[in-house]
Amino acid sequence: MFGRRLLKKRSLISKKLLADFPSGTKVKIVGLYGGPWLRQRLHELGLFEGAEIIIVKNDRLGPVILKVFNSKIAVGRKQARRIYVQKI
Amino acid sequence: MSRKSKIEEHITIGLIGNPNVGKSTLFNTLTGSHQHVGNWPGKTVEKKEGYFIHKNHKIRVVDLPGAYGLAAYTEEEAVTREFILGEQPDVIIQIIDAENLERNLYLTIQLLELGAPLILALNMATLAAKHGIHIDENKLSELLGVSVVKIEAPNKEKSNNLLDSIFNQAHHLWGKCNIKLTYGPEVNTEVDKIREFLQKNEYNFHPCNINWLALRLLEEDERFLKDLSGKKYFKELNNIIRTGRKRLSNIYNQDIATILTEVRYNFIRGIGKESITKRAEKSVSSSDKIDKFLTHKFLGPLIFFVLMLIMFQATFALAAPLVNLINDFFGWLGNIITSQFEAWAMAPWITSLLNNGLIGGVGAILSFLPNIFILFLFIGIMEDTGYLSRVAYVMDRLMHRIGLHGKAFIPLILGFGCNIPAIMATRTLRSKKDRILTILINPLMSCSGRLPIYVLFASAFFTAYQGWIIFSLYLLGVILAIILGFIFKKLFFGRLSEPFVIELPPYRFPILKGLLIHVWEKVWLFIKRAGTIILVFSLVIWFFASLPLGVEYASADSIIGKIGSSIAPIFGPLGFGQWEPTVALIFGTAAKEVVVGTLGTLYGVAEGTLGTILKAHFTSLSALAFMVFSLIYIPCVATIAIIKKETNSWKWTSFVVGYSVVLAWLVSFFVYQGGKLIGFQ
Repeated sequence: MFGRRLLKKRSLISKKLLADFPSGTKVKIVGLYGGPWLRQRLHELGLFEGAEIIIVKNDRLGPVILKVFNSKIAVGRKQARRIYVQKI
Repeated sequence: MSRKSKIEEHITIGLIGNPNVGKSTLFNTLTGSHQHVGNWPGKTVEKKEGYFIHKNHKIRVVDLPGAYGLAAYTEEEAVTREFILGEQPDVIIQIIDAENLERNLYLTIQLLELGAPLILALNMATLAAKHGIHIDENKLSELLGVSVVKIEAPNKEKSNNLLDSIFNQAHHLWGKCNIKLTYGPEVNTEVDKIREFLQKNEYNFHPCNINWLALRLLEEDERFLKDLSGKKYFKELNNIIRTGRKRLSNIYNQDIATILTEVRYNFIRGIGKESITKRAEKSVSSSDKIDKFLTHKFLGPLIFFVLMLIMFQATFALAAPLVNLINDFFGWLGNIITSQFEAWAMAPWITSLLNNGLIGGVGAILSFLPNIFILFLFIGIMEDTGYLSRVAYVMDRLMHRIGLHGKAFIPLILGFGCNIPAIMATRTLRSKKDRILTILINPLMSCSGRLPIYVLFASAFFTAYQGWIIFSLYLLGVILAIILGFIFKKLFFGRLSEPFVIELPPYRFPILKGLLIHVWEKVWLFIKRAGTIILVFSLVIWFFASLPLGVEYASADSIIGKIGSSIAPIFGPLGFGQWEPTVALIFGTAAKEVVVGTLGTLYGVAEGTLGTILKAHFTSLSALAFMVFSLIYIPCVATIAIIKKETNSWKWTSFVVGYSVVLAWLVSFFVYQGGKLIGFQ
């Protein structure tokens, strides 16, 4: 997969996992990792590299709720560990 | 003149859009058809059809499952995609939630690239305006090159503009590929290469479609790649695609899907800037306030648990007066028949047929209508308000631990109503393994067909805390489902792969009319079953209970008594080894309510209510064991059929039947013998 290789290259820039940020943080997505199907679905929901989103709820356990455009999306913990973001 | 007044040829329109944008509401408004509208992603898992007449044209409307894009991520989205590509409808109407225009436009772009005959219906614009979001539909139309019509889906008058648009454009929309979105010269070069190759190999496709096809292939569209994999030129084509992808990712230092998505969203951002005016956002919406509680890490599950408890208590308490009324009615009817028929000197077998066969069987079932109505009302409210997807979120933590998907909880809750739609609802899960696992445990959710059994026994034997008994039976089903889910996962499926991604739609007040229509449909189905399958079974049972001629009705010497007696010893250790409950359980596989009907027919209810008669045949403990057995054993025939259809496997279907019998026996045995050990009666 290209995704994996690219991810390594890009991770030289400082970035963190979505799952590590507390509720209320505004972040920008800098890397999406996962199978093509998952990435496709995330893209369709408005989660793509460059998207600015708000972490509505992160309980450190279970799924994370995000505000993407004007909708709320719950993303599983595992998936939230595969989304890299930068605080903005 | 006469020709003009005749209804002219069909126009077929498809309704498409993201989940929860008002597709089904518009469908109801247009066709007046009774199609249920839910508020959780994946309500319409199959496409629904209806008709209406506009300006002497018969217009066929197809309501498609919600889709976020055309990639066909789940099976229900595949239905949508296959409809557009395969059926080529005259008009595709995309319903757009005005509050969330940008996200909705992602699907719009794919539809435009495909060259679909598109009209946009901007729904809930008034609500959006209230929240400070104003959309200039003329600007939007100009930028996208398609008609944009504002509608209010529940209101026919306010949706009339749309009808005129459909009517005027119906035959002029195909092949107008005028989207103003380009991916830059590098991507275009690769798309052109693929397209030229396809054209050279005579792939029969519309010029606008073929561009889209080429783009999708470059994007790694699994379904298209699979479609083409049989062609003899596939190897060559695949080479072109792969080299193209590689070249692009080297140039942009990103993979192709990311490149294309970024371009699309940049385009959308541009459109948004020109057509949307936002006032300063209100800091916290009411949906957010409600979510503070309902999705809270401790309060969330607690509230869910309490709501379930209230639901089952209400199912019982609110319905009680009505249930008594219906019971009284049938008691009165039985007495009238007995006395009148005696006065008319009718043959006693006719009286027995009517009293034991009909009133005993069908009447016993119909008295549970109020319970079932209330149960479906509660489930309907949970669906329509948007609460159900919160439950998926809240439960994902727990479900995850046992290896199930939070989304799999929605089919489980729907199972409380009926297992058939619940099993169909598993289509919203993408991975086949997750689907099968969810289907396997779904019959353990107590459906409304089992409710009459619980109500009958609980009210007879556990009068003081019948609501609690029923709730604990439902809970037992859930707990067993979770335990078995865990075991089955370990045994058959290993690691499950389905990622958890679900939209939490804003809370909405259910539209009362739609809700009642939905509940009525379910209740009507129940009545219909009472009038057909249960009627037939009641008569069959009455017949075999009256034969051979001269035997005392429903005695151990009757045919059915003999059949029952030969099997009954199996249930001895469970506390109900008599032949009557045995026969009831056998016939209960047709539909679980039949258990009650059979008991009614066999014990004959003319002399009093069924509950009091049961007390002579069961102890409290054996009644409990009987309820537990009814909960777990073999799903009804209709459920078995749908399991076969959805798993497409006899192996899994027979597995469900097999494990449920064994489990039912074991758990009932444990309840009865365990209870006796502790000293219960």
